[in-house]
Amino acid sequence: MKVFLPVLGLLFCAATVCAQEAPPQAVMTSVKHATDGHVWGALIFATNDSEKLTGGKEPEHADLPKLHERLAKVFPFKHFEVLGQHRQDIFREYESWIVPSQDLFMKIDSKGPAEKDGLNLHLQVWRRHQVLVKSDAILRKDSPLFIGGPPWKNGRLIFVVYLERT
Amino acid sequence: MKHPSEEHDLIRWIDGEMNETERATFEERLKLEPALATEAQKMRSLSASLRSHMPAEIRVPHADYFNTQIEVRITQMALDDARSKQAATSWSAMFQWLTQPWFALVGAAALAVLGFFLLQPASADDSESMILSSYTPNLRVQARTYHDHEADATVLMLDGLDAMPADKHISGVNIQRSEMEPELASTTMYDEKGAAVFMISHDSLGNPLISPEG
Amino acid sequence: MPAAASTDPGEVSDLDLVKRSQAGDTRAFDVLVTRYRGRIYAMTYHLIQNETEAWDLAQEAFIKAWRALPTFKHDAGFYTWLYRIAHNVSYDWLRKKKIQGDGEFDDERVEHRIAVGAEATPHGDLAPDTALRNAELGQRIQAAIATLSPEHRQVIVLREVEGLAYEEIAALIPCSLGTVMSRLFYARKKLQEQLHDVYETSL
Repeated sequence: MKVFLPVLGLLFCAATVCAQEAPPQAVMTSVKHATDGHVWGALIFATNDSEKLTGGKEPEHADLPKLHERLAKVFPFKHFEVLGQHRQDIFREYESWIVPSQDLFMKIDSKGPAEKDGLNLHLQVWRRHQVLVKSDAILRKDSPLFIGGPPWKNGRLIFVVYLERT
Repeated sequence: MKHPSEEHDLIRWIDGEMNETERATFEERLKLEPALATEAQKMRSLSASLRSHMPAEIRVPHADYFNTQIEVRITQMALDDARSKQAATSWSAMFQWLTQPWFALVGAAALAVLGFFLLQPASADDSESMILSSYTPNLRVQARTYHDHEADATVLMLDGLDAMPADKHISGVNIQRSEMEPELASTTMYDEKGAAVFMISHDSLGNPLISPEG
Repeated sequence: MPAAASTDPGEVSDLDLVKRSQAGDTRAFDVLVTRYRGRIYAMTYHLIQNETEAWDLAQEAFIKAWRALPTFKHDAGFYTWLYRIAHNVSYDWLRKKKIQGDGEFDDERVEHRIAVGAEATPHGDLAPDTALRNAELGQRIQAAIATLSPEHRQVIVLREVEGLAYEEIAALIPCSLGTVMSRLFYARKKLQEQLHDVYETSL
């Protein structure tokens, strides 16, 4: 008995541990593809006529202080609003799409890391079925990219791309 | 012409560099000399293998980047050439200034300014995003790139784009997550509430197709 | 001479692109780069036997060609002229490496990641074991070529890859016809020794 109870206890503990270590019920998750970074993309409408605004929010991002003022230094407009935004992993092996809107969106192909916490990439800006520009670029944290897009309603569409993390 | 050596005969036969008469003569020799025939066959076989495993054209790794790097260097060369031309023409004017009495004061001030900049932390250039090269398929569209220091942003300005129709309703979405299906070559995008908003795939030409169409 | 890429009826000819490039049109030059980069890279790769260096040297060749465009007289084809530049860039690099190195080339000095022949030639229709043997042979051939001196590697590439005639090889190097033939004979003999087990069993 003296031996039996500790052995039983041991077996009980072992069983408990095994139960805890048993893999949880398999959950269907999407396959994790290797990534080289994560970006935020936004489609912004700039205008001097407040009546042309569509009710979107002012552009802001936690890591980009005074984004509105910064946009205003480049694009000579008084009002800026976000029409759409998209947070996206940049895949190492596959193309990545930034689609804040069906009317203006971007394709990114990673070319791997760049120094100073950057990302080498090839990007294409698309307007529906037409590519507007193809560029090779290095994106770095704390350094957004402003792309001046097509005019619209006497204002302008602007694409902002920002590397949130590598 | 000097009569070719036996080694040259072998090479010329393998490479088809003999005329009809020479080839016929050499092939008669091959029939009579089995060792030579064996050597010729081996060398011919080797030659065929080399051609087969050494293609005349190889896909360049990172082909787009290959091209854009060349473009960047060509642009840089043009800038360097322009700068050196400018510097060359202003040399003589510069030397005249050196003889002026007030130069000492100006020179001292310039040195002070230079020293100020040299003592500053390294230029922020290498911490900025950069556009290395750009290409606009529509020749009417021009791409200008620069870094705006006041905005602290890199700018890619596309001038000459056709305007979006004023009566067009351009709406956006808030995509927070996407899932890619490599086998289907498609990506599904979800908004902040987890609802599927778009799926992006490709047509037969590889152009993006977004569904549902807006 | 090395054959230029045949242009489709709708494609712009080399002559037009070169003239535009000579006028400063970098887009026209970009089309030429795209048209010939595969062949130039193949040539530098086969000579240098190193992907990274071959990539850089192929770029160098195009940069030199851009610089030298004002001197291009349209008497020979553009590709022939470009090829000569690329060949000289690669061969000079190779000779410099030999001078700086400790002596004979051997296959431990030269790195190459894959059998290029296996990559460039689609093997989708071969049985897996045949494809593997092919890839292995390709690697053996690459390793054997890496043991050749620059002069012998050069004639092998110009003859087996580019298919140049003896007179063309002699004009490019430059050397006599007899030297071309002697070097070809020696190079093939040396490769045969390196690969003797392959060719003994194949007969």
